[in-house]
Amino acid sequence: MSNNSDASNRRHRFDRLVGVFHADMYRYAAWLSRDRSIAEDVVQEALLRAWKSLDALRDDGAAKQWLLTIVRRENARYFERKRLETVDIDNLTASQSAELAEAPDPKVDEMREAIFQLDDDYREPLVLQVLMGYSTTEIAELMGLKQGAVLTRLHRARHKLKDLM
Amino acid sequence: MNCEEYKQAISADPSFDGGASHVAECSACQAFRNEILAMDATIGKALAIDVPKLEMPELPDIRLENVVALEPRRRNAPLWLAAAATVVVAVVLGLRMTGSDVAYNSLADEIIAHLDHEPGALVVTNEAVSNRRLARVVPANIAQLEHSPGLITYAQSCEINGNTVPHLVMQGEYGPVTIILLPEEKVSAAVDLSGENIRGVLLPVGDGSIAIIGDKNESLAPIRESVVNSVMWDT
Repeated sequence: MSNNSDASNRRHRFDRLVGVFHADMYRYAAWLSRDRSIAEDVVQEALLRAWKSLDALRDDGAAKQWLLTIVRRENARYFERKRLETVDIDNLTASQSAELAEAPDPKVDEMREAIFQLDDDYREPLVLQVLMGYSTTEIAELMGLKQGAVLTRLHRARHKLKDLM
Repeated sequence: MNCEEYKQAISADPSFDGGASHVAECSACQAFRNEILAMDATIGKALAIDVPKLEMPELPDIRLENVVALEPRRRNAPLWLAAAATVVVAVVLGLRMTGSDVAYNSLADEIIAHLDHEPGALVVTNEAVSNRRLARVVPANIAQLEHSPGLITYAQSCEINGNTVPHLVMQGEYGPVTIILLPEEKVSAAVDLSGENIRGVLLPVGDGSIAIIGDKNESLAPIRESVVNSVMWDT
């Protein structure tokens, strides 16, 4: 009886956390991989992994960073597994950014294309800062970089976007 | 602060609020700030792609009676060795009380034994140690870890093989990951520290080495890369 109740509470907790952070997980995965279907695969794997290790998360206040870290690692694993059998993601053309989304505002579309063309090293901190609202300190922690390196990458990312626009 | 410094700061972080006196008097920087803020609004819209409906994967049953608090990490060892270890611990405690040191067969054995000396370190938490404590435990000439490689939740100066070394714990995906920096311990090749419940490695790094030990499911590669990049001794 108690076990059933514990299992139900566990599932309820998981559903609640995923409900809150699923959009962030998906968008992060999509911008990391630049591919919607890969993002869906990565999120599925990440959800499974998060479910299995949910009990390691003692503080739900840390859930967002915990889930995004899992997405980041799942994405890396995905490309490690597919390394020998997929096309070089860096050779994807900007026009393929349209596969991510189309906006009614051409300026937003143009920006999406420009972001799509950014190197991973510049795109990822930008996504974390603008979309996830992370501070540069938090980005440094998540990416395993020094804060100075994050600031440099963000500066360069915006500089490149200005050039591309 | 001059124009170049201001532009660099605000293009790295549009919420930057320093340089107020400069920007109040500099129309070029005011225009640059407005341009960056407008661009960021567009970046935000561009990044906010549509999200498909959540499809939950098939989640396996988790046997809750098997979910326990994290235990001290142990290598896989036969029962006779476990029994012998109990005797050794008793002897060690006795020796320690008389001030004697313990000899281990190898550095790897001493590292694994050390984990069990500080089980309080192996806690899942979101509370980072302060930068001050980190700086005290990890001198700048050994490593610079203030903002990397992740959430460090434990930092203690410990004695391994007669040397005082930084013992850190970082939060991994599957729980705490122990990192011990050993600038004085040169090893010729990587030593596997994995066992039944743990995955670990003692890694040669220049004239020293680094031990990294986590849960058996933990992916150590990203942590290893970050830590190796943070150490300051000659690599």
